[in-house]
Amino acid sequence: MAKSFQEALASGKFLITASIDAPKGTDLEEAARLIDKLKGVVDALGVSDNPCAAMHMSPWAVCRLALEKGVDPIMHVACRDRNRIALQSDLLAAASLGIKNILCVSGDHVKFGDHGDAKPVHDIDSVHLLATARALEEGKDMTGSALKGNATFCLGAAANPEADPLEPQLIKVDKKIKAGASFLVTHPAFNIENLKQFMGHVSHSSVKVLAGVRLLVPEKVAQYRDGSYPGLFVPENILEEIEGADMAKCIGLAANIVKEIRSADLCHGIHITAPGHEEAIIDILKTGGIETEK
Amino acid sequence: MIVAKRKPFNEIEELVSGSKKILILGCGTCVAVCLAGGEKEVAVLASQLKMALALKDQEAKIDELTIERQCDREFIEEINNKVSVDDYDLILSTACGAGVQLVSDVFDHKVVLPALNTTFIGVAEGPGVWTERCRSCSDCVLAETGGICPVTICAKGLVNGPCGGTRHGKCEIDPEKDCAWTLIYNRLKKIGRLDRMEQTSPPKKYGADEYPARIVHEAYRRRYE
Repeated sequence: MAKSFQEALASGKFLITASIDAPKGTDLEEAARLIDKLKGVVDALGVSDNPCAAMHMSPWAVCRLALEKGVDPIMHVACRDRNRIALQSDLLAAASLGIKNILCVSGDHVKFGDHGDAKPVHDIDSVHLLATARALEEGKDMTGSALKGNATFCLGAAANPEADPLEPQLIKVDKKIKAGASFLVTHPAFNIENLKQFMGHVSHSSVKVLAGVRLLVPEKVAQYRDGSYPGLFVPENILEEIEGADMAKCIGLAANIVKEIRSADLCHGIHITAPGHEEAIIDILKTGGIETEK
Repeated sequence: MIVAKRKPFNEIEELVSGSKKILILGCGTCVAVCLAGGEKEVAVLASQLKMALALKDQEAKIDELTIERQCDREFIEEINNKVSVDDYDLILSTACGAGVQLVSDVFDHKVVLPALNTTFIGVAEGPGVWTERCRSCSDCVLAETGGICPVTICAKGLVNGPCGGTRHGKCEIDPEKDCAWTLIYNRLKKIGRLDRMEQTSPPKKYGADEYPARIVHEAYRRRYE
């Protein structure tokens, strides 16, 4: 494998990351194809955990596949679906499979998913999950009991520079950093001023920030507008541009955000999501002026 | 208080179908205040059931009785002073779930069915409007959160701050609902205790009470233990 994500984080280079979803089913063919395609392009590949509360395969299986194919994965772990016991056992399982990068998130509300009557767990929150993962690294579970074999993680957390109001979000981000997050993946950013304010706040720490870039597509405009995608706050002028746009234009709009983020020299990297259109990730990077091997 | 809402009428109709002697038992406390199961609501439900049965050319004796509280044995045990429970083949309780269970315990030889869905512990915001305020978690955090409960008001029950879904101070699941953490932030700022929000709250102690919980008042301990 090329440089690990942890090494890439420390290297000071502009980091390129993206996320894919695990399959809804047992067929790993599409995930394998995307991993192969993004190998050498991304510094790490995230695998979502039941994205938008829709039931999918557990991400650790896809993360393991990525490892086998030479791509360093970032396993997303949501607090929504498991209590503190299950979360710790999954973290230990991930560690034993060689999965080091963990993105600790609360998880989108069950309401947005495909099992609307499911009980949202949220036994612990993302701050607790980070602290718990740190404890596992120190050879203890969250109650302080000794483990046989320590975990080794590179821990990340989510944040939304577009949240309104931003101040409560920033207080929580501070807690996440204090709890052990060494990188932050932001929700999709659209307003560079918001991102500047966010970066101004976290710059006191050594945390690395990967700004979220989302490929928006015309068939989802109504859902972007009506709040069907939690934490995705697309300005109306961008929605108007996306309406009726072809894929080249959609890629171009995402690429513009990549360029803007990069030229503003604000963040340490980007994190691209393109649900259902992951094949466009490389095109977004290229159009955004990022050199890739592919 | 406990807030409940009546089950859909067709569900109630299905629950009582086949019964010939029904006692609709109201509760005069919380569910009366929230207009779900007090004397008036019992009367409305009785009328509805009578009409529905009449439309089907069916007959049943449907009586009404509302007691002060169904969550207290002494009031339930008085029921037989007012009606003869054994005259009925079914008691349809319009109490909260706790009341239905205690009536069922006291009259354990009778069929006791719920007419309400018990929904939350809440407050009256104004005429006809109640909102949830407490999850009775046995591990109260209100001292740290400006008197606003994140376990209850936050859709995810997060105790360390908002998720990333806050927009215009509203919750990601419903733009009509306030984000609990925006409320908490504003309240703590207003009362000069924002530093409380900066402290990391530990994981909730869901083991603080064994469920089902039981409390015996200090003064009565010798009697029960």
